[in-house]
Amino acid sequence: MKQVSIHNVRYYWRVYLFVLPSLLLLLVFSYFPTVSAVYHSFFNWDGADIKIFIGWDNFRRALTDEVLGRAFIVVAILVLANLVKMIPSIVTAVVIHRLRSDGWAHVYRVLFVVPMIVPAMVWLLIWKYFFDPSYGIWNKLLSATGGMAVLRLIDGVFGWGVFVKGVEPAWLGRQELIVPALIIWGFPWVGVVGVLIYLAGLSQIDNQVYEAGEIDGVGWFRKFLNIELPLIMTQVRLNLVLMIISTLQAYGLVLVLLGDAGGPGGAGMVPGLYMFRKAFVDQEAGYACAIGLLVFVAILGLTLINNRIVRVSK
Amino acid sequence: MKHAFIWGILMMSFFPMYLMAVISLKSSKQFFANPWLPTPPFHWENWRIAWGMVGQSIGVSVFVCVTVTVVTLVLAVFASFFFGRFRMPGSGILWAIFLVLLLMPAIANLIPLFSLLRGLRLLNTLSALILVGASGGQVFCVYVLKHFVEEIPGDLFEAAEMDGASLLQQVRHVVVPMSGPILATLAILRFVAEWNSFVLPLVVLRDDAKLPLAVKLYQLEGAYVQEWGPLMAAYSIASIPIIVLFLFTMQMFVKGLSAGAIKG
Repeated sequence: MKQVSIHNVRYYWRVYLFVLPSLLLLLVFSYFPTVSAVYHSFFNWDGADIKIFIGWDNFRRALTDEVLGRAFIVVAILVLANLVKMIPSIVTAVVIHRLRSDGWAHVYRVLFVVPMIVPAMVWLLIWKYFFDPSYGIWNKLLSATGGMAVLRLIDGVFGWGVFVKGVEPAWLGRQELIVPALIIWGFPWVGVVGVLIYLAGLSQIDNQVYEAGEIDGVGWFRKFLNIELPLIMTQVRLNLVLMIISTLQAYGLVLVLLGDAGGPGGAGMVPGLYMFRKAFVDQEAGYACAIGLLVFVAILGLTLINNRIVRVSK
Repeated sequence: MKHAFIWGILMMSFFPMYLMAVISLKSSKQFFANPWLPTPPFHWENWRIAWGMVGQSIGVSVFVCVTVTVVTLVLAVFASFFFGRFRMPGSGILWAIFLVLLLMPAIANLIPLFSLLRGLRLLNTLSALILVGASGGQVFCVYVLKHFVEEIPGDLFEAAEMDGASLLQQVRHVVVPMSGPILATLAILRFVAEWNSFVLPLVVLRDDAKLPLAVKLYQLEGAYVQEWGPLMAAYSIASIPIIVLFLFTMQMFVKGLSAGAIKG
């Protein structure tokens, strides 16, 4: 790297030109909106010209807003669900990694990329179709595999009244089924980028470690715990952080599956969607900014806590 | 055993796409009778109808995504050259500006961004999507590329300088060739991210003709209720451009991912 001191800047000033366009884009389209969001969150703003200064009122309102509170609970549940949904990717990567044949491993690696290249919107709309009570595949699959019978049994015990004979459960139409639907979608939850990244990490493992394990007579699960897991821990941790950050702010999923009200009874409302709705449907842009900032702060807080935990464990 | 497990997962992952392809060739009657299995005669006209529905937005999406990818990468390469090759006065502060954005969730930005675009008279334009898309991609790309540029031996740059290469030429002849695989990977990631972009185009665009694919499909699903055949055909058509992209770039992408994963 070439060190340029202040004195030599007049010869190297053109170098600054290389960072200028990038910087400008960031300042205009990333920093300015954030500052503007903070500014406008103190106003009663309709998104256009009507601006009345109301101080902390938006935040006071947000902290006592029941809908918002419930929305945060929903995303918390989704984060936990996504935690579990990380497992199939890890397991699949380990299984592929353990294959003896390199040829097959390569084939599988290519095959697993295919779901990634189907656009996200297509996945969402296909699953929306899956959840259709009358024509969707999900109910048909449940009936065909006996899952529906099991659900009806459990329903009988708990008395939900949802899985009843003669009724096709509307996964996106019944309040009680919405959060389960949001969790189930995307089955079998094997994320492409995750699998490939874990595989890349796993390929770093030295064969000697395995051989030592074989000599000690270590079973396959212990092998996983003691050899593979620790070594992909960095990637897992990174994916974990990214997952939490994106799940907390995501709302495209809910918007497409359930519409901007979050479905029947607002059961699927998430904070991001609430912000969206407040701004673009209810014209309460100032309040929406406050909501957005609360989510922003929550995410930032969690990220910092997570960093601290990581540092301690290292 | 292992293969059985993997194939099991693969089958389950591919099932929706299989279903999509099968249903796309059915008439409504065939669909109601049996949605699971291919049933000749195949109704290829569903695909023709679907093309009429999404053809234009595919063009729009390709244009926007290619432009965003190119702009993002060009600017990111320049910026990574600045951060990776030189330590100028003020580099530290500038780098902090970039880094901070890595952690800042952009959720609160949407509404002021909309307002800003309106102020700049960019509402209902594709330029808005391109500018925001390029800006969104900067931070990650620059972050990754900076590390790669740092690894390039200084001698290569000095040799170029001695040959009289200008800064721009140094970028073209040293930085770009040395970062091939990672540039390809970043390009693909950016392209796919932009291809999937939904909320911003949804709120920014008014004209039907300008709608990119994701938004168009979303609207179609609402408009063509229960016309499963053409809808599934539309979804299939929507998947094809990226499949093509991947077929051409598979090698580079996986190589780049491995290189990136090891460094990260």
